[in-house]
Amino acid sequence: MKGIGICFGAALIAVSSSAIASTEDCSTTSGDVVLSARTPEVDLFDAPTGKKVMTMEQGKFPACTPISGRAPNFMLQVNVNGGKYWVPPYMVKYRFSGKLPAVCRNLAMGSNDQKAGATRGLGEGCPKKGAN
Amino acid sequence: MGREPAAFVFGQRMTAPQGQPTKRMSGAIARARRPNRDDMECLRLGVPYWFMVAVLVTISTFQIWMNPFGFSDLVQRYSQDVSDLLITGPYFYGTEGRDNVSVAIVDENTLHTLNSPWPWKYGDHARVLDALLQYKPKAVVVDFLFVDSRPDETLKDLVAEIGRYRKAGVPIYFEGGIDLPYGENPLRPELAKTGVPVIDPSIPINSGVARQYNATGRCFNQNPDAQGNCPSLALRVYRDLYGKKYPPAPVNDMMELVWGTRTAPENHWITRSDASGDSHSCFEDMNLLRRWYLAFFNTSVVKSPCPYTAEFPVDGMLLQPDDKDVVKMATNRVIFYGGALQGAQDRVYTPVNDLLPGVFVHAMAMDNLITFRGHPFQNAISLGGKPVDGNLVQIVATIPVILILSLIHWRSVRRKRLKLCEPARERSVTFEYFFDKAVEKVWHYLAFGLALGVGLLLTRSAGLSVANWVEVVFVSVELAAMLLVGLPDSIWGYLHHVAGGQLQAAPGPALDAAEERVT
Repeated sequence: MKGIGICFGAALIAVSSSAIASTEDCSTTSGDVVLSARTPEVDLFDAPTGKKVMTMEQGKFPACTPISGRAPNFMLQVNVNGGKYWVPPYMVKYRFSGKLPAVCRNLAMGSNDQKAGATRGLGEGCPKKGAN
Repeated sequence: MGREPAAFVFGQRMTAPQGQPTKRMSGAIARARRPNRDDMECLRLGVPYWFMVAVLVTISTFQIWMNPFGFSDLVQRYSQDVSDLLITGPYFYGTEGRDNVSVAIVDENTLHTLNSPWPWKYGDHARVLDALLQYKPKAVVVDFLFVDSRPDETLKDLVAEIGRYRKAGVPIYFEGGIDLPYGENPLRPELAKTGVPVIDPSIPINSGVARQYNATGRCFNQNPDAQGNCPSLALRVYRDLYGKKYPPAPVNDMMELVWGTRTAPENHWITRSDASGDSHSCFEDMNLLRRWYLAFFNTSVVKSPCPYTAEFPVDGMLLQPDDKDVVKMATNRVIFYGGALQGAQDRVYTPVNDLLPGVFVHAMAMDNLITFRGHPFQNAISLGGKPVDGNLVQIVATIPVILILSLIHWRSVRRKRLKLCEPARERSVTFEYFFDKAVEKVWHYLAFGLALGVGLLLTRSAGLSVANWVEVVFVSVELAAMLLVGLPDSIWGYLHHVAGGQLQAAPGPALDAAEERVT
């Protein structure tokens, strides 16, 4: 009888811990997913480069929300309370299936002893369509 | 071999018969045109101490004050650059400031990575500022100007972000536009209305290089002090954050920036490639001898394109906010948020990096203030609360060196005069040659040492930077050379000869008595 109790307790712990774990790492949700809010407040935007339409408190932001879209500027599209919004990546903890771009720079000698002899105009330096 | 002791009377005027001024004048002109070399050689030995000092002070004043062909200024500033690059920067500049200041940068890679062409919307800046706020920085200084009233519906996001900073108790500073010809607002009224401090971002450029930093600037929405001045950007931020712990010293005119050369370890994500395209780390060790050897031929070889201040790109922060380097650089530091964009015209030369984005100059000024605990190097000392002209300070600093060198030289001239009365001693020519050369060298090093001592004293006591006293060293060595060739004595000899001074054999009195009469 005592042995059955121990086994039942161990099973209960195992089940509950796996349940907690799945909530934290959202292992039950496949693909790209927002695990939880990272900042005390999460801003929701109407478009990747749009305006802020709503701010949610950290506790109210739904966990394990699938990412339905990724903008070129890395804003993440999520479905919150039935509406589609965009959230900045730094405001949430997320899991990506792909790789994030590496952060590195190379400063060539001579690149920093010449000034551009012109003033930047509108649109110059914009990434061109079709170019990587 | 010997010479009969002789006594001379120096300085006696050749007296002309009364009533013959014209003859006297013509005699002087004749002597001026065709001086007697032997007479002058003897008369120069009677040069008085005061004359020697007066000649040297005149020469040093001319050299320092007149700044012929801009030579003095160039020498001063170049010495400062070399000091930053080879002495102060690598070996004597502390890292306290480096550990407390960071730059969050928007560069070309940021625009490319985020696929966000320039100029950004206000909302984009708001997002970056909000991301920075999550790390609880000491303060954030926004090094972008928001002057133009372009239509942008995300402006209110930036206004709201300022509110978030206020709520979190993290100081945030904006910069005001200067030299706006049509009365534009220095900062968009919507932003200024929030009461965010607006500071003057001016950077003084000295011969094209950022070597100094303003002490005061335009007030915008700040309250001026009793003298009606408002602190410059870095001084204002320092005063707000560190003023209670380490009160800033009054800056008499301008701060002299010390540029560090030991790149922050957090910048390991940056590499540099040399002229042949080979990639190198920003942290390659270079010992003192190698550094000096390379710099001897070309100073640009030891300059590094890597900035001294810790830097992180905002795209890295937005995408990987938990990156340990970003966390380290953004947490509990003063963060300067600025741009490094081609064609944005906000790049300046530094003595140790060549071109850097202007935001690094503000960061370096802040770094100096933290490292020196509010007592940065200055370009002027004050007397009675008013800054004293730097040239005057250098001239005054040269005087003790002149007095000492002149005294030593005058005593040696005096000894030569005495030797005229003594039998000549036989000396080897070789000995004489090497003795003279040794004296020559020691003499110059003495002048150099004295002047260096005066300069270091000025640095220690008045906080003057090397640029503001190095002229004392150069001029002192130059004056030493002039004394070595006997310039003041020769001038004295010539003038005295022209004025009618005569070398006369004095039959009776001893030399000392004769000297007394002369000097």
